[in-house]
Amino acid sequence: MNAIDISGLCKQFKGKKMTRVDALKNLDLQIVPGEVFGYLGPNGAGKSTTIKCLMGLIRPTAGTATIMGEPVGSVASRTKVGFLPENPAFYDYLSAEEYLRFVGKTFRMPEALLSRRTDETLKLLELWDARKRPMRGYSKGMVQRVGLAQTMIHDPDLYILDEPMSGLDPIGRALVKEIILDLKKRGKSVFFSTHITDDVEKVCDRVGVIVKGQLEALDSVENIVRKGIEGYIVQTRLGQGEHDSLKGFNITRRNETFVEYFVPVAGFNEFIALAGHHSVEVTLVETKRKDLESFFLEIVRKGNS
Amino acid sequence: MLNIMAISLKGIFRDRIFQGIMGLAVLFLFIPSAASLSMRQVTELSITLSLSLISFIMLLLAVFLGATSIWKDIERRYTYSILSLPLSRTAYLLGRFLGIALFMLLTALFLGGVAMLAIKVASVLYPPARPVLWIAVLASILYGTLKYILLVAVSMLLATVSTSFFLPVFGTICTYLAGSITQQVYDYLHTPAAVKAISPIMKQAALFFYYLLPNLSAFDLKVNAIYALPLNASGLLMTALYFIVYTSVLLAAGAILLGRREMK
Repeated sequence: MNAIDISGLCKQFKGKKMTRVDALKNLDLQIVPGEVFGYLGPNGAGKSTTIKCLMGLIRPTAGTATIMGEPVGSVASRTKVGFLPENPAFYDYLSAEEYLRFVGKTFRMPEALLSRRTDETLKLLELWDARKRPMRGYSKGMVQRVGLAQTMIHDPDLYILDEPMSGLDPIGRALVKEIILDLKKRGKSVFFSTHITDDVEKVCDRVGVIVKGQLEALDSVENIVRKGIEGYIVQTRLGQGEHDSLKGFNITRRNETFVEYFVPVAGFNEFIALAGHHSVEVTLVETKRKDLESFFLEIVRKGNS
Repeated sequence: MLNIMAISLKGIFRDRIFQGIMGLAVLFLFIPSAASLSMRQVTELSITLSLSLISFIMLLLAVFLGATSIWKDIERRYTYSILSLPLSRTAYLLGRFLGIALFMLLTALFLGGVAMLAIKVASVLYPPARPVLWIAVLASILYGTLKYILLVAVSMLLATVSTSFFLPVFGTICTYLAGSITQQVYDYLHTPAAVKAISPIMKQAALFFYYLLPNLSAFDLKVNAIYALPLNASGLLMTALYFIVYTSVLLAAGAILLGRREMK
């Protein structure tokens, strides 16, 4: 059973002057248990719409979706999820501790477990000192951390996080990445939307890119990274061997001691063979690859055109 | 649902609007001395003033708490986090309603106690011609509370479809005003003078609104309390049943509308 199963999901909103806007177009997506999935897309691409459909906050126009086998929109489907909305807001007259206890009680957690989990989660998210203060006095980053804490309190098998890094400083972001990696280790499924490709590259198993309501790319991070290899930067030491034998390759940098060549993937074996044959000492080989951001931008440009 | 009810109650107690409105309760202290100005009917006037002050405070609470609870949750995007918990929208609506209803009952209990104390002081200082019928005073406070709880249900129904503050607040105030006079309009329509003066279409329209709008005058037992008139048990029972049925219909309609609402 998939953690999330989306099939032919469509969502249309009423636009201005009786127009219709297709926010989601025939989306098919499966998230397997234990997977960390990054959902990328520019603003207005349909990321939050997908998530709101999954959480039953809006109704899809067509298609079906299930969470752990339960149809979305049902109370049962929400018992298995920890959900963080985009720019979360909570009853600000409550303290973080009171809110976590409220969430835990809604999930029908036993009292002893709830108390233990509340303390653990508050400490993990560095909210312990502020736990008794009403949330109306919290900074944006603190509210975001309360949002994460309330997804974790009942230790669900699936986490749906809408822009979890939003509003966090670099330390907060590092903490969230650490938490996601820890969840992955514990076999939990995480589905999160973001704009920040760097976050995806570091924590995700798979990535989906949505543009204008359509899923334009879906692949594992490993594949994307592998496909993105453009060639190698090879450094050789000057004053040794016959460097003229390598003149067919582009020199990217040169100084008194070293020369750096750009070697395309297809020419790598030939370069190494030539270097060996002509006694050229190779001192360094570095992979030159497109990063995930270039991949993302390429997909977005293609989707927009 | 009980969980939502509990945090609703907590929220009201921590709300500054509530604290401001409850500040009006200080006025009870002045009731015995204000009532003494009437010279003859001091106790009757103190009952009138006490019940009217309770009524005014309860009206403010019903309008502001009822109209703003759901609306504020949607406006401030609290609903994204609350409605994504394993909780049905019906349970959320009922939890919010019950939280406010319980608060209204607690407030009525507190204000009723203070009012009875003020009336007692007035009746000891200026003994009335007819002894105070405490059961009628109590029934008047209780039925007044039911009236305002029903009004909370009206405001919540309006809030489930509204995108702004205006419809729930002003809609509730209009319903209160209209609901307080529907019985008088109905009685007038059945007088011989009205048969001649009102066209059949107008009469049908007035009857339609009579049945559609809540009949709030049925909850008004102030006259019984002030003049120590005996209560009509079957009338009280009918009003209580009317309250249950009408409030249930409003909440059911609210639950359906909230269930269909998209949290964009």
